Amino acid sequence: MKVIIYTAPNCVYCQMAKDFFSKKGVSYEEKDVSYDQGAFGEMVKKSHQKGVPVIDINNEVFVGFNRNDIEKILKILK
Amino acid sequence: MIYDLAIIGGGPAGVAAGIYAARKKIESVIITDFFGGQSLISASIENWIGDKSISGFDLAKKLENHLRFQQGIDIVEGDTVLRIIKERGRFVCITKNNKKIEAKTLFIASGSRRRKLDIPGEKEFEGRGVFYCSTCDAPLFKDKVVAVVGAGNAGLEAVQDLSLYAKKIYLVDQADTIKGDVVTRERIEKNEKIKIILNIQINKILGDKFLTGFIYLDRNTSQENKLDIDGVFVEIGSVPNSEIVKDFVEINNAGEIIVDHKTQQTSMLGIWAAGDVTDVLYKQNNISVGDAIKAVLNINEYLRGV
Repeated sequence: MKVIIYTAPNCVYCQMAKDFFSKKGVSYEEKDVSYDQGAFGEMVKKSHQKGVPVIDINNEVFVGFNRNDIEKILKILK
Repeated sequence: MIYDLAIIGGGPAGVAAGIYAARKKIESVIITDFFGGQSLISASIENWIGDKSISGFDLAKKLENHLRFQQGIDIVEGDTVLRIIKERGRFVCITKNNKKIEAKTLFIASGSRRRKLDIPGEKEFEGRGVFYCSTCDAPLFKDKVVAVVGAGNAGLEAVQDLSLYAKKIYLVDQADTIKGDVVTRERIEKNEKIKIILNIQINKILGDKFLTGFIYLDRNTSQENKLDIDGVFVEIGSVPNSEIVKDFVEINNAGEIIVDHKTQQTSMLGIWAAGDVTDVLYKQNNISVGDAIKAVLNINEYLRGV
């Protein structure tokens, strides 16, 4: 499973998402879009919006952090 | 299983109630989507008693840890009560995940949620220029032009968050004065990047793929103007989450649950409430905690037939 979390500093929902994946023992790649313009462009292209967090799980893209949605897809993938 | 008490909400009121209920050995359950309440997204809280400064995220963690340390309280996290029915003198909470939780008494601490502008384009451009969390999204506005709608404390905080990044910030409000704290206001008024436009009404969000601006009526001149911006942050107050009990308890015109401020009892026997969902005059974390404790002490007497 490949997980990318697009984040910004001080973003609480980003932190919640990261904590969630850590607790589940799922490793992820973090991309801070506040300074990484390339990552920002990538995030906008994937999610068609500019807010953080954006979570990409095996190319399925979630805007914001909704624990239930993420839990559901993790169950399917596991 | 029938609980003595079901606590709805995991902000300061809900957590305080949970801790007191556990210590009184009231068989209780707490149902919340997440812990921390609305302050969760606050970058820094400086009036939480006992902490000089704490982020909303750290406060949420502290509250959750204190609650989880208690014995004998069930915690249902990541779920929300959608509907409540009354059956054989008991309350049945039906949740988003289709759980049915039965209890003899209810404590409502469901808080409030962001008020939205409710104008054309707002929903369409949410996340594409319309934002509601300045601590989250401010860093994405480096050298951009933004507007903050709402000149209360939350609005002033958003301006401060954004002033670290944006090159120009418009602070706009429909009122003709700034309601936020004097200290923050003075700081903002001195900053040359910030332009304040008061006494206006925003009518429409404009944009193509992303937001490009909004149309507003300037009540000072009765003229409609366009403001070109890259993003807008909406900070115009909140709406109480009282819908789940609206069929049971008395609610005022603002949607707040009317409580007896001595005991936190609502108009229906068996239901108590505290925090931002109620008609408490001052919406404050510290007050929500105190009011929740009053409620649980009263619930305890009720359950034990005192």
